[in-house]
Amino acid sequence: MRSPRSFGVGGVPALSIQRRTLLKGMLGAGALAGLAGCGGGDGDGGGGGGGAVTFGSNWSDEVPKNAIAAMMKGFSGGEVSINTVDHNSFQENINNYLQGGPDDVFGWFAGYRMRFFAEQGLVGDISDVWSDIGSGFSEAMKQQSTGSDGKQYFVPLYYYPWAVFYRKSLWQERGYEPPATMDDLVALSKRMQGDGLAPIAFGDSDGWPAMGTFDYLNLRINGYDFHVELMAGEKPWNSPEVKAVFDAWRELLPYHQPDSLGRTWQEAAQSLLRKESGMYTIGMFMGQQFPEGAERDDLDFFPFPEIDPAIGTDAIEAPIDGFMMSARPRNEDDARELLRYLGTAAAGDAYLEVDPNNIGAHDDADTGGYNALQKKSQELVGAAKSISQFLDRDTRPDFASTVMIPSIQEFIRNPNDVDGLTKSIEDQKASIFGG
Amino acid sequence: MTTVHTRGRPVRPARVVLRVFLTVMALGWLFPIAWAVYNSLRDFDYTSVNGYFSFGGFTFDNYLEAWTRGNFGQTFYNTAVIVIPSVLITLLLASSVGFVLARFSFPFNLTLLALFTAANLLPQQALLVPLFRLFLNVELPYEVSDSGSLYDTYVAVIAVNIAFQTGFCTFVLSNYMKTLPKELTEAALVDGAGVLRQYWQVVLPLCRPALAALATLQITWVYNDFFWAVAFMRTGDKLPVTSSLQNLRGQFFTDYNLLSAGSVIVAIPTLVIFFLLQRHLRAGLTLGATKG
Repeated sequence: MRSPRSFGVGGVPALSIQRRTLLKGMLGAGALAGLAGCGGGDGDGGGGGGGAVTFGSNWSDEVPKNAIAAMMKGFSGGEVSINTVDHNSFQENINNYLQGGPDDVFGWFAGYRMRFFAEQGLVGDISDVWSDIGSGFSEAMKQQSTGSDGKQYFVPLYYYPWAVFYRKSLWQERGYEPPATMDDLVALSKRMQGDGLAPIAFGDSDGWPAMGTFDYLNLRINGYDFHVELMAGEKPWNSPEVKAVFDAWRELLPYHQPDSLGRTWQEAAQSLLRKESGMYTIGMFMGQQFPEGAERDDLDFFPFPEIDPAIGTDAIEAPIDGFMMSARPRNEDDARELLRYLGTAAAGDAYLEVDPNNIGAHDDADTGGYNALQKKSQELVGAAKSISQFLDRDTRPDFASTVMIPSIQEFIRNPNDVDGLTKSIEDQKASIFGG
Repeated sequence: MTTVHTRGRPVRPARVVLRVFLTVMALGWLFPIAWAVYNSLRDFDYTSVNGYFSFGGFTFDNYLEAWTRGNFGQTFYNTAVIVIPSVLITLLLASSVGFVLARFSFPFNLTLLALFTAANLLPQQALLVPLFRLFLNVELPYEVSDSGSLYDTYVAVIAVNIAFQTGFCTFVLSNYMKTLPKELTEAALVDGAGVLRQYWQVVLPLCRPALAALATLQITWVYNDFFWAVAFMRTGDKLPVTSSLQNLRGQFFTDYNLLSAGSVIVAIPTLVIFFLLQRHLRAGLTLGATKG
């Protein structure tokens, strides 16, 4: 270490330079902080009403992002400034977002997740917009856009169905037929096992993909109305109905890929791609895991098989994405005008032209450009009597993520204690939904 | 090397075990990083069909695509806007407090230091909601902030980072300053230097190793922060570089090769900072360890 003396002599000149640079640094920092505060203002041309409509977009993936941009270009009522936030962050921060002065119009999901915020008064009533655009949507769509108070809060854009996907070429080669009932499914699975395949691809490391299987078993065993009431917290989870769902799942588990908790859905889809597994209950987005071209065209699906003939297969899981308006938009007139535009077939077509991985929600959507899978999906959903949204969209988000994800994973780990599991879910549900 | 061993002392078994152990550990640490770099240079469709344990499908496109899709140019700038003031102000405040705590004896001196240190143990997430409400209630004109409040401004994120990092820095700096000989400031006092001058011209320059070490840590920590930025920002174009990685994760589908490329891009600045300040970092850590 230097002695005080040598520091006193040799240190001063060096010090003054350092001090000056340090001071400059501080000034720079101050300027940056100042800039930061002002930086927000130049975004919308001075703020204060009047300007562009702001649009909060969670379509952050490359293709949907471009599709949204193409869609907004078609709006003639003024400029739309798009604020894109990545999908996961947007979703996790929706509470903060809605309370902290959100964009005028923003993207969100139909079903309980929409009603939840409508009840809290965080989103705007757009019934007047619906009186203009309503004729273009089916009754099921309108129902999914309506809050618990009977008013509309949501404009649907597209949906994507969940079904059981498989590779046509593999099935042709082995002579498999799409099963219509649960017994057929089990028989087919046994055959696949005999052929050295894992019958049902399965991966639940992220927690949510297995919810699709739960939903479908529940829809097939107990029906759509029970699903809605169960998700809304009105029916107990330790009822015989729910136990029957888990029991049925336990029968099927031996045909699922083992060790699924360490596998993401993408890896499970990959096993389907490599013809190591036979089929997979998943959403239509699965196609993205398949290389474009021959392999993606090789994909086909069948609806989840029937379990109870009295209930049939007329409920389909098809999450809907669309738009909402914030409770107090700064540019309200243009925001409503924008939503009117977003509810037209032309707007939906502009989107789907760029992003053909979904099905347009509008009745008059142009289906000319649909590929085989899209056409089949449209028929599937068109024939459905009711559309469910998906477990984590049909119930409280905190219940889905903090209770259902661990519970389903626990079930996969140990499928034998259904009584204990359903009781634990019911206890936690009671505390989350407030008894 | 082996010739040295055979000519000089014989190779002891313990030595061999140590070598093997160190090699295995080093490889164990390096493997995931090398694996990510390797796969970031490969085409997704290729690895999708052939699996990750294959060889081939090499391309640099992942990096180009990650750069544009992650909007790295913008987010690196945003990160600089957050990190630079945060770290400078944190160090300034922490060194001031540390100086007073180390050099002056007054009642509650130790209590105050304990308070600063204890604040580190507070789980930051627990303060999210009150802070969010606080920022939301600070009303600003729309010309200054789009949200009409401190929410969604850099000032909010910078202030929170400073508040949470000052405790740790104060602890380290005040302990470090205690190791500096008292005679230094006493001599300065005799020469007529006031408290400010003692702080700025005597103590602070001597703290350079500690400041450099802290700067390295702070830059890395604030750089890696994702939580506060996402919690207090709603404008996608203002988010820091950590959000770029999130951008590369799809809603359902994630191209892991692309994500690996993005991770490598994000890791580079921290590595650069570390290698630049490495010497100081090591000196700073050992200097702080002995008291006397």
